Amino acid sequence: MAPRKDQALVFEVKGNSLDDGPGIRTVVFFKGCPLSCTWCHNPESKKAVPEIRFDREKCIGCGSCVGVCPEHALVRGRPGFIDRGRCTLCAACTEECPSTALSLVGTPLSLEGLVRKIEPDIPFFAASGGGITLSGGEPTLWLDFASELLRWAKARGIGTLVETCGLFPLQRFMECLYPHTDAVYFDLKLFDAREHEKHCGVENGRILENFAFLSRRCAADGKVLLPRVPLVPGITATKANLSAIARFLTGLGATRVDLLPYNPLWLSKMESLGNGIPFEGRGELKEWMPLSLVEECKGFFPGFDLG
Amino acid sequence: MAKIDLANQATHLALKTMALLFSHVPGLRRHLRSDDGWINFSLRLMTENGAVDQVITFRDGRVSVAGGPANADLQIVCRDTAVLKDLATLPPNDVLNLLLKNRMTVRGNLAYAQLFNFFISLVVKNQQIRKMRKQAADLRALSSTGAPSRVPAPRSRAVKNLKAPSRDPGVLFIRDDPYLSRYSLNDFPRLKRFLDIHFTVKPVICHERPLLLTGWFRENGFEQKKDGTPWIPELRQGHAFKHLMENRTPLIRKGDLLAGTTTTSEIGVVLYPDSHGTMIWGELLTAPFRHLFPYDISAESIEVLHHSVFPFWIRRNFRERVRDAHSSPLCQSLDERFAVYFLWKTAALSHTILDYPRLLRLGTSGIIREVREELARDREADEVKKATLEAVILCYEGLAAYAANLSRQARRDAANEGDAARRAELLHLSAICSKVPENPCTTLDEAVNAIWIHWIGVHMENTNAGFSLGRMDQWLQPFFASDLEKISGREEREAYIRHAVELVGCFFMRCTDHLPLIPDIGNYLFGGSSSDQAITLGGVTPEGEDAVNDMTYVFLKVTEMLKIRDPNINARYNREKNSDTYLRRLCEVNVNSTSTPSIHNDTVVMGSLDEFGYPPEHLRDWAATGCVEPTLSGRHIGHTNCMMFNMVAALEMAMFNGRHPLMRWDVGPKTGDIDRGAFPAFEDFYKAFCDQLLFLMDNACEYNRLLGEAHSVLRPTPFISGLIEGCVDKGRDTTRGGALHNSSGTACIGLADVTDSLMAIKKLVYEEKKVTLPEMKRAMETNFAGNPLLHSLVLNKVPLFGSGKAEAVDMANRVTGFVHDRFLEHTNFRGGKYTAGFWSMSNHVAFGTLTGALPSGRLAGRPFTPGLTPEAHASKNLLDNIRDVSMLDHRHMNNNIAFNVKVVPSAKESHEEAVDHVFSYAKAYCDLGGMQMQFNVVSSDTLRDAMARPGEYRDLMVRISGYNAYFVTLNRDLQLELIERAEFGV
Repeated sequence: MAPRKDQALVFEVKGNSLDDGPGIRTVVFFKGCPLSCTWCHNPESKKAVPEIRFDREKCIGCGSCVGVCPEHALVRGRPGFIDRGRCTLCAACTEECPSTALSLVGTPLSLEGLVRKIEPDIPFFAASGGGITLSGGEPTLWLDFASELLRWAKARGIGTLVETCGLFPLQRFMECLYPHTDAVYFDLKLFDAREHEKHCGVENGRILENFAFLSRRCAADGKVLLPRVPLVPGITATKANLSAIARFLTGLGATRVDLLPYNPLWLSKMESLGNGIPFEGRGELKEWMPLSLVEECKGFFPGFDLG
Repeated sequence: MAKIDLANQATHLALKTMALLFSHVPGLRRHLRSDDGWINFSLRLMTENGAVDQVITFRDGRVSVAGGPANADLQIVCRDTAVLKDLATLPPNDVLNLLLKNRMTVRGNLAYAQLFNFFISLVVKNQQIRKMRKQAADLRALSSTGAPSRVPAPRSRAVKNLKAPSRDPGVLFIRDDPYLSRYSLNDFPRLKRFLDIHFTVKPVICHERPLLLTGWFRENGFEQKKDGTPWIPELRQGHAFKHLMENRTPLIRKGDLLAGTTTTSEIGVVLYPDSHGTMIWGELLTAPFRHLFPYDISAESIEVLHHSVFPFWIRRNFRERVRDAHSSPLCQSLDERFAVYFLWKTAALSHTILDYPRLLRLGTSGIIREVREELARDREADEVKKATLEAVILCYEGLAAYAANLSRQARRDAANEGDAARRAELLHLSAICSKVPENPCTTLDEAVNAIWIHWIGVHMENTNAGFSLGRMDQWLQPFFASDLEKISGREEREAYIRHAVELVGCFFMRCTDHLPLIPDIGNYLFGGSSSDQAITLGGVTPEGEDAVNDMTYVFLKVTEMLKIRDPNINARYNREKNSDTYLRRLCEVNVNSTSTPSIHNDTVVMGSLDEFGYPPEHLRDWAATGCVEPTLSGRHIGHTNCMMFNMVAALEMAMFNGRHPLMRWDVGPKTGDIDRGAFPAFEDFYKAFCDQLLFLMDNACEYNRLLGEAHSVLRPTPFISGLIEGCVDKGRDTTRGGALHNSSGTACIGLADVTDSLMAIKKLVYEEKKVTLPEMKRAMETNFAGNPLLHSLVLNKVPLFGSGKAEAVDMANRVTGFVHDRFLEHTNFRGGKYTAGFWSMSNHVAFGTLTGALPSGRLAGRPFTPGLTPEAHASKNLLDNIRDVSMLDHRHMNNNIAFNVKVVPSAKESHEEAVDHVFSYAKAYCDLGGMQMQFNVVSSDTLRDAMARPGEYRDLMVRISGYNAYFVTLNRDLQLELIERAEFGV
């Protein structure tokens, strides 16, 4: 199940995306991330290994899966259904499941295999000025693979874009990805180092340095660098944090920033992966972010183009 | 036993009561008499098991009841006594639904069923109306419960406009702003007024046409002349048409720039008792109260229609002519059970496009002159040719007479007009009508009026069902150009362009002045469809050059401002010749209007017609007819909507050894009993499916042929024959194959449902052996009730059409290939071939309600997908849908397709981005070789809100499958189908 040297672990190739860069795009979601943000909207992307997902809503209770599991890891009545201690990720159950309630998240793909999935979308890139977007998880965890993918795209005149959490080895990034991407969408989550460590698992010094460096290079090279801030009520969407980010960006001469309003769709994903849900009792995190709060957050970025 | 006896007794008593009432109450008895004398007929009412069997006889003003069996003009056979009870208590619109659902079948002359319904209605009208009002109220209450809790306020209707990024070479006069972005509806108060009328005025059934025609026929004979010699039908129709045109009321709508109306009302329902007009007989008293598309009708019209019109036509209509002449053939019985096919030819031939350039060039006087020359030239001409050409002349004399009446009326109106500006307009109109259409046109005002006046004539002769206007941007551009060349001042030019927009706007609104007559059963079969007068824009000229011109953009501007369902706007996009600027504008109009125009990939549509070897310059002059179907303008009778054909029925019949489950009729060939081990391999099953298809196709084509003959006898159409190339030379009416090119076009419904079902059987039964064929059959019989595992498997583990899996596309191509090839083997009455189309009007909903559960997992009674649109759950990715549809072999789809895409602009998206995205889909789809595409740019939330608050959404237009309709006027099933369609963000 582990990817070979020439493979990457990909959990989704999503066509017809209109929100991840210009035009019609196909987004490659790599699996694994060096950060561990508590609110992560793609919790299935965090671990750099395949996982089995169980979606209780879809299950029709037919029991087809129970019999095919060689490890007897599927137990009716068990919270979460899957005994993940026993599961060896053989995926026999996901193949058998008629309702897609059980599914395998993360497939090792070779460049060739991935390209086969992208190629049918090329006419739509051409018509829309779109292309591919590398996202995740964190694409920079798969630098060599991602580099080849970007070069494949560039050789065909396909637009390229990398979305990143910002925590990557700068020199390798500049060698492998930077020359082959038209744009970098760069997440800035929390400006305070302690807060960042508390909520994202690591300090943010390297991330801010990387951003500062890229902002100079991109300006010089005519590439797009778009900082993006996820708005998480009570965590990132605070006056102190947003104002600090705004000051940091102003200092670098940035004029554009994308604010990503919070939505609670990740909570059900957490459960389906057998994970507990943080923030129990934080009611506001179970709701869509109210528009008024989004507007308030925008107010902390005076003079910025907010899209 | 006693209970059954009781039912028979009760039926006897009920009929006896009716007999007594009609024999003795003068107010009722007078309805037994028509202008031709007593209406005599008998009706037998029975149950399938024969336990109830009664006959009521109306003869010479007396009514009697006796026990059956006996021969009768009409037999009504109820499935059981419960149906019988419903029959007695339901309002007439619901009685028709008993028929639709096959709970009741009718054998014999359907007009008598309608007449009998009318008699019942006379007695219990008040109860019926009360019930209908309650139904309507209940439905409204039901709709409002489906509203979402958090509905965004209705999306701002403020139309935004882009500027054209470049100019097309054919755009000569509006070069600074080809998109005409500076105009909005607010600049045209006249059009705003007309729009308000369109959305608020209730249509009225108009008896003028049938009364004038019936009067003439009664006077001069129909089958024979008064002297006893037979009429040549063409000549009879020519005389009658002239009489009609000379005597119909010349009306000019208040404030209009065009003279003439289709009926005597602001919005009128045209009656064609020679086709399906008597279908409304039973609803005459209740039509104003029905929930869907109520019609008003005056007391006078009820009297006129019942006494003076309908009785004359009881046997003189297309259906009954076939029934009488061919002893109720099987092919007709199948049609009248509604579940396997529906032949539009029972109501209309229409669906064609005339040679309007010829009318504009010659005028009626020039047309008459050329016909006379042909008569003088051809000394060998047979009687039919002479009669046909004489009839053409009579028709065009009639049209000229009508225009002269309009001219006089305009002058009279001017004399009574207080407003000076309007008085000038009326005098201008009077001058126009005194010149055209009799003489050649020289200005845009004249050309548009000439076409409109002719268009009225078209609908006096032909049923208003899908008759189409063709390439109006091409045909009007020379007049626009020559008018403008005479104007030099900048402001004057600007004023003229504004006038041209307003004039075309008036033309659009004129086209809404008439509606087809739809008995309530039709509201379920063809919900919300208007007359579908297609206009086609863009593409290439007959010489193959870029045809986009100033008028193309004028028409698009009007389309965008008015957002009305009819005329149905179609746009040809020729990848080789037309610009991105033009395509982008088509997409912008779709975004702003929510659903029009439909976009055709020009070279692909033309390529689909390759096999007919049409001359290239004829082919390049194609335009859409009715919904989307290609017709070669001015020389082609393609009756492109001759039938709605349910392919899914063949699949059901293959599963049930020739039996149709809803009809409970073992009617198809015995292709194999699944419970006795039939079909060891998938190919065996596939062959059975094909055999059932072929059985239905053979019958549908046979009925179409018989109806074609009925048209030629009952209602030849010399008026339109005068503007269809070939008819005058051959001396043959269009109904007899006079046109240069002839064909018949089918609409084959349920491609996605059939493909997915075949894939489910192939994969799960034969390849993976996860289920047996008998199990699958059982699941169909039980609606998957006892087998959720199988239901889940077919929904999730089968490669579906639209999911991006090549094998499903291969299967779809295999089905379309078979259907196309076999239809092509049939020849119609006019000597033409059949084409295969894959669009559905709204019949995907109607046929769906008459179909059980399918191997695809679609449950009983649910709609099929519209046109050939993939199932909503086939893929979350619109690109999969687009690619799969584009990979269908266009050579199998020579009557075009309808591919629906519902897209929803997100709140944060700019107008420009929304247009860009729609443009990209359309462009890529065409690049990939897709054929036709139509958008609904609206969210399901908005549609749900519209169900709950119809008052705020009267103009919310949606595309059904090939045609547009107002969402709030649709039947509930169709509304829900639209909401459930796959929705993709843009």
